[in-house]
Amino acid sequence: MSDVILGFCCNYTSSVDVDTLKKAGLVPEGLRIKRLPCTGKLEINTLLDAFEQGAEAVFVAGCQIDKCHNLSGSQRAAKRVGYAKKILDELGIDPARLEMFFASRGETEPIVEAARHMSSVLSDAESIHR
Amino acid sequence: MIIAERKPMNEILDMISGINRLLVLGCRGCVAVCSAGGDKEVDIIASALRLGRKKAGQQIEIDTDTLVRQCDPEYLEPLKERGKQFDAVLSTACGVGVNFIADRCPGVRVLPALNTTFYGANLSSGEWIELCAGCGSCVLHLTGGLCPVARCAKRLSNGPCGGSVGGRCEIDPNVPCVWHRIHDRLMEQKQDKLLKDITPIRDWTTAGHGGPRRRIREDLLP
Repeated sequence: MSDVILGFCCNYTSSVDVDTLKKAGLVPEGLRIKRLPCTGKLEINTLLDAFEQGAEAVFVAGCQIDKCHNLSGSQRAAKRVGYAKKILDELGIDPARLEMFFASRGETEPIVEAARHMSSVLSDAESIHR
Repeated sequence: MIIAERKPMNEILDMISGINRLLVLGCRGCVAVCSAGGDKEVDIIASALRLGRKKAGQQIEIDTDTLVRQCDPEYLEPLKERGKQFDAVLSTACGVGVNFIADRCPGVRVLPALNTTFYGANLSSGEWIELCAGCGSCVLHLTGGLCPVARCAKRLSNGPCGGSVGGRCEIDPNVPCVWHRIHDRLMEQKQDKLLKDITPIRDWTTAGHGGPRRRIREDLLP
C-alpha cells in the first residue's frame, strides 16, 4: 500500500476531485485531501496529529500569498507550517515531510505538483510509523 | 509578565522516558499570554510527544488540562489527588508553577516543559523583551523609568560605561545603551540634575542574594 500523503487544502484553491486524479494516474494512490474553509484556521497540533495518525507526509495548499480570500490566512498557515517543521526536526523527523504550497484559485496543477513533490520526498525515506 | 519558552522536544522526550501515563498541564497566566504554556501550547506539546513516542515505537497515554493559574493554591487543590493517577505531570507553567506543584502536591511527580526566561513585555506578536529584573529595589524614579538593572548588560548604577558607541551597547550593538537613553530622557524632562547624584553601592539582598524572598501583608492574611 502506498504511503499516506495528507493534503490540507483551502476551499478556494482546491476543487480537486482526488479520485479522478488517482484514476488518471496523476497523483500517488496514498493521497488524501482534507478541505478547510481557510488554511489560516489550521492549528499546529492538527499538522502533528496528521503524522501521528498515520500520514508519512503532509502538505498544506493555501491561496497565493497576496491573493488570499481571507487576506492573510495562507500567510498564517505558512508560519504554522514553519513552526511544525521545527518541532518535527526536534523529534528527529525530516521536516521536508511537511510543506506549504500556494496555489491559484481553482487550479488543479499546483495540487498535483504538491502531491508529487511529497511523494518524491518519501521515495527513499523510512516509515515514521513502527 | 513572566516570559518562558518551550524546551526542545527531544529534551522533554528524554525527561519522560519510561513514563506511560502523562498529564500535560497548562497555565492560563503569563505563559498563556506569551504563547508558551496556555491551552494551545498544551495541545501542541501533547501532539508532539505522542508523535515522538510513536516514532520510537513506544506507547504513551497523554491527558491534557489547563489551570487558571498554577501559582495559586486553590487551583492546585484538585491536582493533589488527580496527579497521582499519572506517572508524571508535565507542567507548562513557569518555574513558579512547577515549584508550587512540587511543594503542594506530595506524591505527584512534576516535570518542567518550559524554560522560564525573564520578566518582559510584548513588543509585537511573537517578540518579547526583558524590562525588569525583579531586583526588589526599584530606582526607576531616578532613571526616567528605564531600568539599568535589567537593561544594562553590566547592571551599572552610575552609567554609562566607557564602551557604548553611538548609543549602542558594547556587549550587543543591537541593544540600545540604556544609560544613553536614560541620559537623553532625563535631559528631555529637564531632570538632568538626577544624573549628578552618585547612586551608592546597591544592597543586592533584595534581589535574592539573601536567599528566597517572601512578602507578607498582614491585612490580607487569613
